[in-house]
Amino acid sequence: MLRGSCLCGGVRYEITGPLRGALNCHCSMCRKAHGAAFRSRAGVKAEDFRWLQGEDLVTWYETSTGTHRGFCRVCGAKLLSRFDFDATWYGLPLGALDDDPRVKPKRHVFVAYKAPWYEITDDLPQHPELPQ
Amino acid sequence: MIRGSCLCGDVRFEISGKLSEASHCHCSMCRKAHGAAFGTYAAAKAAEFRFESGEDRITRYRSSAEVVRAFCARCGSTLPWPRETEPDVVDVVLGVLDDDPGVRPSHHIFVASKAPWYEITDTLPQYATRP
Repeated sequence: MLRGSCLCGGVRYEITGPLRGALNCHCSMCRKAHGAAFRSRAGVKAEDFRWLQGEDLVTWYETSTGTHRGFCRVCGAKLLSRFDFDATWYGLPLGALDDDPRVKPKRHVFVAYKAPWYEITDDLPQHPELPQ
Repeated sequence: MIRGSCLCGDVRFEISGKLSEASHCHCSMCRKAHGAAFGTYAAAKAAEFRFESGEDRITRYRSSAEVVRAFCARCGSTLPWPRETEPDVVDVVLGVLDDDPGVRPSHHIFVASKAPWYEITDTLPQYATRP
């Protein structure tokens, strides 16, 4: 069981299954959405994810066709991405987790679009785009 | 001139001077707000910072006695906020800049609160809280 919540505490969720494919995404949309050097996210099966409270506080913004990013409308915390083309899984930003997910990002993707002010200094594989 | 904007483009701002004091913040509040491993900020002079559009689209949230954070109500992008303790300074979130900020982060702060899933592998100085 993993729990997560937004900054103001209005939105809470729990995850009952494993997180998969954790990675750091350096695309310009992730950088803008999070206002951070990169987004660290993992995949979670939709059936393993449950809002505990505050689902009505989540504002969804469609950032590219069929991809919706959710954030708390009170505090702005970035919470979840859902996809029209595949409703069976979600993209989970690791930053809102309250528990240690016991997984770590294993690669960097969209490095071709990386912020000029951030240098990658770890040994993880780097992909210029998203490998298939 | 350094320009920035949110993901949906509703909010746009520009900085006519230089940025300073860039750092990576690993506090739990930044981690939650950004939904990321850390937030990266630099300081602008308030007199050199201005919103070009969309200031009315900003939602503000007080996350501590000293910090009122800002984000776009439509797309959620984290945005710069005026520093409450020093009104002549704006804390600028580097992730929403469209131009090169011209500064590079020089240290990590609040490393004592760092995410367990993120390792710092650069050689920048690390501070448990603030320098």
